[in-house]
Amino acid sequence: MKNKISALMDGELFADEANHVIAELKSQSSAQQDWQIYHLIGDVLRQPEAITREVGSAVHERLQLEAVILAPQRSMTEKARNIALSAAASVMAVVAVSWMAMQATPNKSAQLAAQTSALTRASFVLKPQVNAYLLAHQELSPSSDVQGGSAFIRTTNYSNEDVAP
Amino acid sequence: MSDREVDQQLVERVQRGEKHAYDLLVMKYQRKLGRLISRFVRDPGDAQDVTQDAFIKAYRALPGFRGESAFYTWLYRIGINTAKNHLLSNKRRPPTSTYFDAEESESFEEASLLQEVSTPENELMSKQVVDVVQASLLQLPEDLRSALTLREIEGLSYEEIASVMNCPVGTVRSRIFRAREAVAANLRPLLETSKDKRW
Repeated sequence: MKNKISALMDGELFADEANHVIAELKSQSSAQQDWQIYHLIGDVLRQPEAITREVGSAVHERLQLEAVILAPQRSMTEKARNIALSAAASVMAVVAVSWMAMQATPNKSAQLAAQTSALTRASFVLKPQVNAYLLAHQELSPSSDVQGGSAFIRTTNYSNEDVAP
Repeated sequence: MSDREVDQQLVERVQRGEKHAYDLLVMKYQRKLGRLISRFVRDPGDAQDVTQDAFIKAYRALPGFRGESAFYTWLYRIGINTAKNHLLSNKRRPPTSTYFDAEESESFEEASLLQEVSTPENELMSKQVVDVVQASLLQLPEDLRSALTLREIEGLSYEEIASVMNCPVGTVRSRIFRAREAVAANLRPLLETSKDKRW
């Protein structure tokens, strides 16, 4: 076991064996001590001046007060599935928008044509005196967006005779 | 399984609710992170507190760790941020040397700062630990000492050591283990006498 711990900390074990050793480290406190001492030896050899009692014990104590983490696992197949779903959703969105645009275009044209003819028909029923009244009171209109600017605006008038055949 | 993959395995176990796996990561990185933080937080007691805080913050943030970077690189960032926040809360300006990356931080001579982290009582213990390790290393047979030195100090892989020492990889693995165990055998009695056996 110690031999395997030594190889594990050097990253020299195959995955299945490494998983087994890591699991053993959970159950055996002596194995944990070996892990700890082997790392201490490495640290002493690399930086002998820098060795001091560190925080492992205190962190261990504080860790006992922390909630257990249960994070949802994301496997590779799940990631791939998420990517595929995102791509499919994007394609569907593009297709749907294109289809809606194609469907909406003829109707909209027809609607606009109908509105225009209605406006044209409505304009025919206006009486000339109404136009004169509107023109005379344009400056006083509270809804005008260009109050005070009427001097710079050219106005036009029309009558039924102008448009009549 | 590489060193990074071992860390990732431990992280995933913590994420599945195995707290003990986090202890293993703390044991592995406590001195490394402590050295880093002591570059920012000069007060020895504060440096230890900040190191503890950084480890606890990392534990709490672990559900969000997806392994895009190495665990230590991620821990390093948390350590730096915790140290900076500590300095800001004490209205001290963080040192300008905050722009080292995790790899560069390995090569810095931090020893002079770290000596300050120890209390007088712990300094004696630390010195004894260092003496025992160094004396034990000198007592090892040449092949064991070389294998351990090439691994721990030079950072060579087993395959590279096998090439240097002209022996099979299995022999390298055996030599490194035997060297470690010989040193550990001398170290255990000393650590047993310590009230706090966690180093």
